[in-house]
Amino acid sequence: MNLNTLAWRNLWRHKRRTLITASSIAFGVLLAVTFTGAGDYFYTRMIDAGANMGMGHISIMAPDYNRAPSSKKRLQQANQHKLAVEQLDNVKSVASRVQGQAMFASARKSIGGVFFAIDPEQENSDNNLFIKAMVEGEMLSSASGSSIVLGIELAKRLKLKIGKKVVYTTTDNRGDIVSAIARISGLFETGSDEIDGSVAVLPLHKVQQVLGYQKDEVSVLAVILSDQRHSDQLRDKMQAMAEFSDTEVLNWQQTQPDLAGMIAVDKSANRIGQLLIALLVAAGILNTMLMSVLERRHEFGVMIAVGMSPKNLFLLVMFESFWLAVLGLIIGVIVTTPWFLYMSQTGLDLTSAYGDDFSFGGVLIDPIFKLRLFSESIIAILIGLFGLTLLSGAYPAWQAGRVVPVESLKTL
Amino acid sequence: MQATIIQNQIVELRHLCKIYQQGDMQVKAVDDVSLVIHKGDFAALCGPSGSGKTSILNLIGGLDVASSGKVMLEDIDLSTLTNTALSEQRKNRIGFVFQSYNLIPVMTAYENAAFVLDLQGTDKKECRQRVMKTLADVGLQGLENRRPDEMSGGQQQRVAIARAIVTRPAIVLADEPTANVDSHTAESLLDLMQALNQQHGITFLFSTHDPRVIERAKRIIQVQDGQIVSDDHKT
Repeated sequence: MNLNTLAWRNLWRHKRRTLITASSIAFGVLLAVTFTGAGDYFYTRMIDAGANMGMGHISIMAPDYNRAPSSKKRLQQANQHKLAVEQLDNVKSVASRVQGQAMFASARKSIGGVFFAIDPEQENSDNNLFIKAMVEGEMLSSASGSSIVLGIELAKRLKLKIGKKVVYTTTDNRGDIVSAIARISGLFETGSDEIDGSVAVLPLHKVQQVLGYQKDEVSVLAVILSDQRHSDQLRDKMQAMAEFSDTEVLNWQQTQPDLAGMIAVDKSANRIGQLLIALLVAAGILNTMLMSVLERRHEFGVMIAVGMSPKNLFLLVMFESFWLAVLGLIIGVIVTTPWFLYMSQTGLDLTSAYGDDFSFGGVLIDPIFKLRLFSESIIAILIGLFGLTLLSGAYPAWQAGRVVPVESLKTL
Repeated sequence: MQATIIQNQIVELRHLCKIYQQGDMQVKAVDDVSLVIHKGDFAALCGPSGSGKTSILNLIGGLDVASSGKVMLEDIDLSTLTNTALSEQRKNRIGFVFQSYNLIPVMTAYENAAFVLDLQGTDKKECRQRVMKTLADVGLQGLENRRPDEMSGGQQQRVAIARAIVTRPAIVLADEPTANVDSHTAESLLDLMQALNQQHGITFLFSTHDPRVIERAKRIIQVQDGQIVSDDHKT
């Protein structure tokens, strides 16, 4: 009989104990999937929402624009750059945007805010949060024209309704103050008072005219990726390309450092939580394996007496840990799969607890608690718990290998 | 004549001592024991509890290390070996029969008997042939698939004997092999071991105070206070 088979049988000598220990591993899988899945889901949602609010997962802009934004700094030959980016893998869409600060005025009131000038043909609800958040009227119909879409709070403060005129004043490419008039075509409501009370969406070509930009001059090319995890890799690749040598290429961590910082802090807290759970699971496994070894010292003494080497005894207990890990992971996958499927498809609605405008790091996210797991997270959970079980079994196995037969056997 | 004796010598103890430390006191469990066990011996170490017979068996079996003196197993000095090398010696050259059988509970009779052969890496086919024959020799034909908890004490001890002899060891060390069985089973086990000794020439060294074993033994070695006080060969 080989050690593997013997280990498997040994595992079933105390069925209840084995099942309880395997269940603790399974519970570890459930918790790890929940913690990691929540992280994978929320971080992705926040990063995507942040990208859709203007800067994309990757932003191409004039040098130094990100550090000190100004209408004077503009990306030239934007159309050429856009064509070059669209050829790259994992690029979902590229949108030309002009953005800046402006004073919005009605007949009664003036309010400072931010404008995003977009080409509606390049934007949709998948890559633009404001299109998704339209609640009244219509989004801009073209990049030209004199329409404007306001945040619902901004419109309220200006005491304006759809169809009314608003004057926006900003600085042009030379630093001179310029104004233009626009008619409100629609209102959006993201749920965040800060955004709804300060943002306006304008037609790209009209704003380019107002600012004195050429048609292929923009503030930023916002690149939306099919998967935000490729942003580092793609940014590095673009930075190395000659086509982008006269530009600054930044990823979302650089353009949204607050969000990146919040996610990093949250990830660290999440990892500490997972580490504590892992330690609890490890302590349970260690306790079981050690008890199992100590109560079999006599039997191990017999095995050594008849010729089994300490190394083989060590391996026997390690094989027991191996099978315990396999069993725990199988139970864990069986138990966790329905939970994960429910949570990834339906999720828990936390609106009653957080309200509709749940924001994190300045980014608006749905108050629906869902799970999502990247393939690398699944592998990390399985390998992590598997390794943890083997590691927990190492000390008891070492103890087994140190059994002194003459002490273990009271008599021969 | 002398050369033949040396050639047939399985175990030789030379001025063997074993001292245990108990607190501040030193206890001499084995005191200057010199002894030779020959091939084919059916010998019993006899003596009261605490006389040192189990300590002598432990030293011969390489389970314990002598404080001084030598244990020669055929041509090898066990006192010079590492733990791993001692394991090899036990696996290949020594068979053990324990008082309380000490079978591995999750293994069948067949698997228990084959355990040491598996450790030796014996070819599966050969292993099967040898185990089946040995189990038949010890009267367990048809019980190969029973686990220890499905067998009587006598049957378990037969499996233990099969495990000890299946590797064809130089010597079988048996510690009180009849202590845990009824007298009928004890007689039957002794019949078996005697037959194995007579028919296959297997060397047995017992540690016992069971008169039935002493009666059957061809050689009786009396141990007292860690010393051999008599060594009688029956004619």
